[in-house]
Amino acid sequence: MKVELTVNGQPRSAQVEDNTLLADLLREQFGLTGTHVGCDTSQCGCCTVMVDGQSVKSCTMLAAQAQGTKVVTVEGLSPNATEFEQLHPVQQAFAACHGLQCGFCTPGMIMATVGLLQRHPNPTDEQIREGLEGNLCRCTGYVNIIEAVKVAAKAQEAGR
Amino acid sequence: MYPFTYHRATGVADALARIAQDSGAKLLSGGMTLLPSMKHRLASPSQLIDIAQLPELRGITRDGATLTVGAAMRHAEVAGDATVQAAIPSLAAAAGQIGDPQVRARGTIGGSIANNDPAADYPAAVVALKAVIITDRREIAAQDFFLGMFTTALEEGEIVTAVRFAAPKRAHYAKFRHPASGYAMTGVYVAEFEAGGARDVRVAVTGAAPSVFRWEQAEAALGKRFSVESLAGLKVSEDGLNADLHAPASYRANLARVMTLRAVAQLTGEQA
Amino acid sequence: MKPSRKEDFRLVTGHGRFTADWHFPNEAHAVVVRSDRGHARIVSADWSAVREAPGVLAVITAEDVAAEGFGMIPGGAMITGSGGQTIKMNQMPVLATDRVRFVGQPVALVVAQTLQQARDAAEQAYIDYEDLPAVASADAALREGAAQLHDSAPGNVSLAFDKGDAAKVTQAFAAAAHVTKLTIRSQRLAGAPMEPRGVVVNHDAATGKTIVCTPTQGINGMLASLSGISGWPVDSFEVNAQDVGGSFGLRAGATGEHAALLIASKRLGRPVKWVSTRSELFVGEWHGRALTLNGEIALDADGNMLAIRFEDVVDLGAYNCYFAGFIGTNNLSVTMGGVYKVPALAMSSRLVYSNTVPINAYRGAGRPDIAFAIERLVDQAAAEHGFDPVALRRRNYVPKDAFPYTTANGTVYDSGDFEGVLDKALSLSDYAGFAARKAESASRGRLRGIGFASYLEASGGGAAPKDQVSVEFGGDGSITLFGVSGPSGQGHETSFGQIVADGLGLPVDAIGYRASDPARTLVGNGTGGSRTLYGVGSAFKNLVPRIIETGLPHAAAALGVDASAVDYRDGAYRAGSASISLPDLARKLGAANPHPLNCEAESKSGSTFPNGCHVAEIEVDPQTGMTEVVRYTAIDDLGRVISPQLVQGQVHGGVVQGIGQALGEHVIYDEDSAQLLTGSFSDYVMPHAGCVQNMRNDYHLVPTQLNALGAKGVGESGCTGSLPALSIAMNSVLRAHGAPHMDMPFTPAKVWAALQG
Repeated sequence: MKVELTVNGQPRSAQVEDNTLLADLLREQFGLTGTHVGCDTSQCGCCTVMVDGQSVKSCTMLAAQAQGTKVVTVEGLSPNATEFEQLHPVQQAFAACHGLQCGFCTPGMIMATVGLLQRHPNPTDEQIREGLEGNLCRCTGYVNIIEAVKVAAKAQEAGR
Repeated sequence: MYPFTYHRATGVADALARIAQDSGAKLLSGGMTLLPSMKHRLASPSQLIDIAQLPELRGITRDGATLTVGAAMRHAEVAGDATVQAAIPSLAAAAGQIGDPQVRARGTIGGSIANNDPAADYPAAVVALKAVIITDRREIAAQDFFLGMFTTALEEGEIVTAVRFAAPKRAHYAKFRHPASGYAMTGVYVAEFEAGGARDVRVAVTGAAPSVFRWEQAEAALGKRFSVESLAGLKVSEDGLNADLHAPASYRANLARVMTLRAVAQLTGEQA
Repeated sequence: MKPSRKEDFRLVTGHGRFTADWHFPNEAHAVVVRSDRGHARIVSADWSAVREAPGVLAVITAEDVAAEGFGMIPGGAMITGSGGQTIKMNQMPVLATDRVRFVGQPVALVVAQTLQQARDAAEQAYIDYEDLPAVASADAALREGAAQLHDSAPGNVSLAFDKGDAAKVTQAFAAAAHVTKLTIRSQRLAGAPMEPRGVVVNHDAATGKTIVCTPTQGINGMLASLSGISGWPVDSFEVNAQDVGGSFGLRAGATGEHAALLIASKRLGRPVKWVSTRSELFVGEWHGRALTLNGEIALDADGNMLAIRFEDVVDLGAYNCYFAGFIGTNNLSVTMGGVYKVPALAMSSRLVYSNTVPINAYRGAGRPDIAFAIERLVDQAAAEHGFDPVALRRRNYVPKDAFPYTTANGTVYDSGDFEGVLDKALSLSDYAGFAARKAESASRGRLRGIGFASYLEASGGGAAPKDQVSVEFGGDGSITLFGVSGPSGQGHETSFGQIVADGLGLPVDAIGYRASDPARTLVGNGTGGSRTLYGVGSAFKNLVPRIIETGLPHAAAALGVDASAVDYRDGAYRAGSASISLPDLARKLGAANPHPLNCEAESKSGSTFPNGCHVAEIEVDPQTGMTEVVRYTAIDDLGRVISPQLVQGQVHGGVVQGIGQALGEHVIYDEDSAQLLTGSFSDYVMPHAGCVQNMRNDYHLVPTQLNALGAKGVGESGCTGSLPALSIAMNSVLRAHGAPHMDMPFTPAKVWAALQG
């Protein structure tokens, strides 16, 4: 079947199988390998992307379900950035706070944070914890990730 | 996943017709349970009929003392909806504790209750809030709906279209989260209703047994006096409760009691 | 804001390249057929339906492995044990031959045009198993009449090992005023790096070269094992691992999947790719820990330690693999006195097979386990015999003026100030204020516990004789460092760049780092054993003067002066008022190939002794057994901290892996069938964000003279300190309620049950 959707601001279309997952459409057909697959029980969150403004797990969505939607992947947060300062505040905050080590969970963590800050621009610790409930990290111990969320929140507030 | 045909239903009638034609067809709503099981090749429908966007299955309306939630409403929508928050705030809060934010963005109430996972959160809400499950062909009272593990009263091909909740005087859902899965290791929804001076309490327990059940002893005690003290000395029987790697039946029985106490305490301001 | 590391830009923009992100034209896809039995004879296997399935290109089985003349998976060193016995070595075959010994053991590789076709085809496999009795743990394997895994190992014992002076220890116990015994179990874990591992192999028959894209901890280790298993020359491989999504000790060497893929790619003449699923990984990747440590400590009337004795049972899993033997022998013995001056030490261990996934090194590889067992023993002794736990430690620490200190079993600790570390930990954690916090918790119906633990470990000695590094200059002024250790999140690109940049007086952006070795001559250790920063970093430190001296004659020529008139300062060669920067000099010399400034350096670094004191404060909800870590303080002596943020990140990560082990992680097998019960994240409890509150860390540094950087290694310290601190905190809560000692994980159900009495 043919799927048409917007990805990172660009209209895209692809021929997919009915059982193609959104994560695989993004990774294999569109070459957007920033979205990662880390588990098969929809728990690790490495595959998180935005679909119509909400953070979702792209491994638990069919490409077909994404027909007609606006998808944003980590590559789409600041697609033209060549310098660090041009990056999305959440990306900058993760890098500045050492909120990543191996980087595998990072795109999903960043997209979940983007979603979290949309819902709670000035999140409490509890809201941060809840907001990242669907994302696992094995390297950082989350301490700097939580700090990155707070720094990003401040940066976004300042930018308003 | 095995191969299948995906079809976006054009209406409930279209979905029903397709199911009638193809016994291997399954309804797809949020997909948060169905898709993972298909990825593991534990389920292999021949066809997925996507009903998540049907206007007939969406919407939230309040009508006096009832609140009707469309079956395809996402957990995040229920959690954030002003009408739900005004009519049954505990329901919004409960929906907001399901899974994680990404799951809540996709999972739906219809899908959750039709699946009847023993550790799902919504079944407790449905039973505690004396809900009526509205389908394409009839209405089913909560007490008649959940029959056993992953088993409901729904007939082959029957589609849940909405759930109509009774707004309680007050209610609270106390959930003990499973540390790995995020489901309810045990969750208790306590709802106090008052009509014509009479108090009527529901205590619905999920996660502890193969299917949601009412702790009738606690209901009776709280019906007499809605207070933590009324529950003193009451225990949930271990018989028939789930035992697994993570917790024996005795622990779940304990959680059922403790979560009930905490739900009541949250409402009365007492110490649990 | 500024990025902490050079690698961050590509990683936060989704431009990292992990194994699944490698694509080759015309690549085929592979799926592994794995045993679904814990212990069984393969009576027969029929692959015909698989071979005939749509899209199938090849089915690789043990027959193909034999036909290629491949060997077995490396089983680790031939360790000598008690009475001069040699370890019974039962290596894992690349693919199972006549018997499977654990659920998940690879039996065949199915290769097809698409992944879907490979999966569909694999389901057609028909394997006739004859089930054999299984033993799902070392304890079960040691029982009389237990099923035997290997003919060469009666009683399922691969090795009996001992170290220390057993007779002296026995005498000490006989004379002791106080003796405490405790059995401590460090449960079996899944390392669970976030990247599911995989391998892409592209064998080019024309050149005889094989490209292998796979996570590694350093290319030399991967090259050696690929070559060792296949017999193909090391030079014929090119190993690519641009970004590695975590490893923690588990991905240093090649596995059966690598070998089967080599055969497939060679046979098909095209690239073949396999990426594990997460569920597959729970049975398809080495497990960690799985140790039972029976400890005893003897004290005199005043509390001076007289002796420590351990009798350990080490679960190897179904086969000897890589590092497990070393864990059960060297790593459980070399630091078995911990931070204490103990006149007599003895240990014995039995390395035991069971029908479970083989064990390999996982963050600490036995050292966190023994450190934690020692501290639990000391804490228990304090409680049993009425000693204040702090005073008992102080009395027995190796004092700071006693270094270098040789332990009773011959380990030489070079430096340390254990009491200074303790003081700082007690202060920063506000240990003294605990009683008030405990009362406040109690007012909310919560039980609060505190545990502090002094730990010490030996960082890796390094299997390679030295660490060599090199640098290449470009005609564009670029400076690229090369080494053979492999990062999996440690930030090597940044820290090694930092060391050289600081030494040369250049901005860190001017220096690149690649974990590969184009010249193929570098000798060096892979990442592991918490030694890479100081081991390889010291080599990079030594590289700085080598670069400067290499460039000197060229700079002199460029400046038109005698070499004696030139010196190097702040990024440039200078003679009077004339100067030429190093990058400019590189540009000037760029036409020559190889670049005249290219050079090498090396360093020899052995073990160092990172140590510290961690303080964990927990709050237990007695009605549910739910435990939160409400305060955590880590003071570590890491010698010298080169990159503070990166070091802190390692501490955080290690501590949280310890929290995972303490509060929930556990690989559980069914006792009868040896089926794995915890096969996904739905059952294997992982820590989430917020699992530790009020985390603070600081350092009490005593630089080591053992390497050029003065650094002691941090990678494994976090979990080495956290396991005992958390266990002691929990056991103090249990003890206060009259409950017996409990092993990890302290799950809600277990804690609740224990508190019921």
